[in-house]
Amino acid sequence: MKMFALALALMLPTFASAQQGKSMGNPNAPLRMDLFDDFTCPHCKMLHEQMLPRIISDFVTPGKAYLVFHEFTLTGPGHEHSKTASMYAAAAARVGKYMAVCDALFATQSSWAVSGKVWEAVAPALSEAERKKVQALMSDPSIAAEVQKDLDQGMAARVDRTPTMVMTRKGKVTPWSSWADYGLFKSMADLLLSK
Amino acid sequence: MAFSRSKILPIAVVVLRVLLGGIFIYAGYVKLVEPWQLFAAGIADYEVVPLWAAKFLAHTLPWFEVLVGLLLIVGRWLRTSSVSISLLLLVFFSLMVRAFAGGKEINCGCFGPNELISWKTLVRDGSMLAASLFVTFFAFRNRRTPV
Repeated sequence: MKMFALALALMLPTFASAQQGKSMGNPNAPLRMDLFDDFTCPHCKMLHEQMLPRIISDFVTPGKAYLVFHEFTLTGPGHEHSKTASMYAAAAARVGKYMAVCDALFATQSSWAVSGKVWEAVAPALSEAERKKVQALMSDPSIAAEVQKDLDQGMAARVDRTPTMVMTRKGKVTPWSSWADYGLFKSMADLLLSK
Repeated sequence: MAFSRSKILPIAVVVLRVLLGGIFIYAGYVKLVEPWQLFAAGIADYEVVPLWAAKFLAHTLPWFEVLVGLLLIVGRWLRTSSVSISLLLLVFFSLMVRAFAGGKEINCGCFGPNELISWKTLVRDGSMLAASLFVTFFAFRNRRTPV
């Protein structure tokens, strides 16, 4: 228990600063939501396409929550191209196109996750100038470091599956990884906001 | 001085009753102090009951766990409480084995959130089931044994 508390204490200061271009909403919102997901995970695709718009409209747009995205890059069979996708997303965040690239990656997940042609999914979401910048950033060591930092933060927060939303309200950390029903998640977030 | 089998068994039954009862009270308590949504989400993840049932169980099951735990410890309605706990553990254990065998990476939901189903949780709940069946057997056998 003490170790867990220590891990949380070490983690909170790093949670405090979102990586460039990977957050939405007011950083001073009463509830902080840190979303850990992976571009090759089918449940993450479902969350991104069906529930994330509702989370944004219910909590982020009204200023109730500050949403921060993290790549919790999976490894192993079926996730061979996960790290490449995470790196492209991190690079796209540097040119202000994080969400557009996330949308593109999730929309075409079933093809590039198998073929490994990740760039073919990413490129249409970028302009010619942005493509050049993103390709150049892919060889920048800070991009790989950023992806690794996201993973480390997830491990420190005891994220054990994707997608997981770690909600923080007044220092209390509540991880949520059940996405069978949006109403249940909303009820939990509303409860945290009422405290 | 050697204890005879007839003396050891009743002591073992009482010890197991207190242990199992305590575990059930604790399991109910940790769910009651957490928001009910966390337990409802845990139940929903098993994908065996509809969402309304998961919500209903999240509100009621922790209280039932505390109640049968208390009854088992104090020895009131012993057959009812021991059968209830055995049936609960049988259901929990079956669902956990089903989820684990199906490769589901979900929380056990046994003692609050953040405990994935693993060999460890299966061995633990399996041992509790064996202990509760033992207690249940003696609760019925003692009823039939002439004093």
